[in-house]
Amino acid sequence: MYDAPTLERDVTEAKTKFSARNVQVWYGDTHAIKDVSVEIEDKTVTAFIGPSGCGKSTFLRCLNRMNDTIDICRVEGDILLDGEDIYDRHIDPVQLRAKVGMVFQKPNPFPKSIYDNVAYGPKIHGMTRSRAELDETVETALRRAALWDEVKDRLDSPGTGLSGGQQQRLCIARAVATKPEVLLMDEPCSALDPIATAQVEELIDELRARFSVVIVTHSMQQAARVSQKTAFFHLGELVEFGETGHIFTNPEDERTESYITGRIG
Amino acid sequence: MTEQTASDGFDWTSPAFASQLKKRKRSQLRLKLLGLSAIAIAFAMLLLLIGSLMSTGYQAFTQTHIALEVFVDPEEVDADNPERGGYRDILTATMHTQFPEVADDRAALRKLTTVLSNGAQFSIRDAVVADPGLIGQTVTFDVPVSDPYDQLNKGLINRDTPEENRRLKDDEIANFDLLKDRGMVTKPFNIGLFTNADSRFPELAGLKGAIIGSFYALLTCFVLSFPIGIGAAIYLEEFAPRNKLSDLIEININNLAAVPSVVFGLLALAVFLGWFGMPRSAPFVGGMTLALMTLPTIIIATRAALKAVPPSIREAALGVGASKQQVVFGHVLPLAMPGILTGTIIGLAQALGETAPLLLIGMNAFITSAPSTPFDSATALPTQIFIWADSPERGFVSRTSAAILVLLGFLITMNAIAIYLRNKFERKW
Repeated sequence: MYDAPTLERDVTEAKTKFSARNVQVWYGDTHAIKDVSVEIEDKTVTAFIGPSGCGKSTFLRCLNRMNDTIDICRVEGDILLDGEDIYDRHIDPVQLRAKVGMVFQKPNPFPKSIYDNVAYGPKIHGMTRSRAELDETVETALRRAALWDEVKDRLDSPGTGLSGGQQQRLCIARAVATKPEVLLMDEPCSALDPIATAQVEELIDELRARFSVVIVTHSMQQAARVSQKTAFFHLGELVEFGETGHIFTNPEDERTESYITGRIG
Repeated sequence: MTEQTASDGFDWTSPAFASQLKKRKRSQLRLKLLGLSAIAIAFAMLLLLIGSLMSTGYQAFTQTHIALEVFVDPEEVDADNPERGGYRDILTATMHTQFPEVADDRAALRKLTTVLSNGAQFSIRDAVVADPGLIGQTVTFDVPVSDPYDQLNKGLINRDTPEENRRLKDDEIANFDLLKDRGMVTKPFNIGLFTNADSRFPELAGLKGAIIGSFYALLTCFVLSFPIGIGAAIYLEEFAPRNKLSDLIEININNLAAVPSVVFGLLALAVFLGWFGMPRSAPFVGGMTLALMTLPTIIIATRAALKAVPPSIREAALGVGASKQQVVFGHVLPLAMPGILTGTIIGLAQALGETAPLLLIGMNAFITSAPSTPFDSATALPTQIFIWADSPERGFVSRTSAAILVLLGFLITMNAIAIYLRNKFERKW
């Protein structure tokens, strides 16, 4: 698996987007995330890998406060977005989620038209003033999600009628339409076939030019293919974090090595 | 399968396995047969119910009429004041012309007019009031016959019964047969069943008041319970914190749904009529009482429908920065709507058939005019059935069954609409 094609790595000095310090997450009495500190850079793809139940998705959902919707979930520690604590009292989670977009494991387009799916975010945030401006936003988002050419003639047909891969790209377009600064992706390809996966991965690499992308994945090949930085989680702890190439070729921790060579997980 | 050992293969052809397979197939077949017989029994019961209602009720859908050539005598009716004419005498005279051999004494003539419904004189009066030009002319009127003759014409009075045990005596039967031989007797569809309000006389009694009363009551019930029920369900399901208090509320709502309806009737009697002094027998108050019963049904159905909306849709909307309220009203509620509507219609259908609470607030009053507003006294379909079932006249037996059939018709229509809505708006994920 080490000969999986890895992308050219951009290791120039990048600005820190997210900075998490000593983050603890509890679900009721379960300590799901234990003391995780990590720096996520701008215009970089960061992959979270690790066995099932290791907390990587939980940590991802802390970054746009999606865990707020779970009553029993409790988050401690600091998560700073551009130096600002996102769990601060005056931060509105609704606004935060427009700035930190999310793409989910299972494609979940709204049961509305393709156009309405993409236009929803800009509409509720009042980002456009005219229909023409909205049309443009929708087109740009669909182009960025590499879906425009496939759907431009049927923007009024339901989003749920697309294929799985197209639906996931539609969800990416929907997230991109609110002009986020960070895009969180929770195993975006786990429900897709290899061809659709390849398309989405290619797209992720293009998106990196504009946003910081954080992707949770079960597939180590995928992490190796799309990411510049990789974080390995195990049993709620961040075991290792660093350059993707470094982690996959020369892991420092024994557990990381066991996982990427397939001995645990 | 206990003889199976850990490592070596299982003998799929062994007699033990064959007999176990046979047993399994037998029990499967048994279950299937039990299920089928359960459905067959339920179906047979339904057929029995509908069949018995039909067999007595179909008679009420026709009504014996008699076509009379009536001379509107100017001596009986004053053109300036046609409301106060001697229409009874006009009818007596009309019947006398049919039977000229009958002696001109009051008792004998009165007996002749019993063929006609008591309402006959009023329908002639109404026609004359509407068109005073009829005075002095001979007009053909189609008037209902009274209940005993209607029964006779429908074959419900046995002519072989000894005369003293029979409702109609031999001479009365002979008179009627004579009219029939002259081709004056018809048996058209009983429009009066739907256009008349209640009456003491079965041949005039209709369901108009009950249908309008039920409509007003259901309208009130819907207007009250639909928004309140959905509002309560949305709050409990989407916004309320999960704690002891919300658990308690949930348990109590489920309990309310199981409270006998007569209790709601007593509550309405004490609170709506007693405290607030609302009008007795009014469909509006009936609707409020029914709303009390329908609310828990709607709340429970709405919560189930909201719960059934996949979490992925909520996440998707939250993920692009929708507020909780936008998620609920923009995505969850529209998707839950078919389920909510189905639950509501089923709740309303239940309310339509509810009798006990309406009896307690006086909707079983004898009211001979249809209500024009929800605040007028009225009956409802189930209470009308209750009143008719209690009435001694023979004609009400078939009318009771007919009224039940009408009520069942409304129920089936409402449930069919519920199924149609469910199928139409059901989302495929």
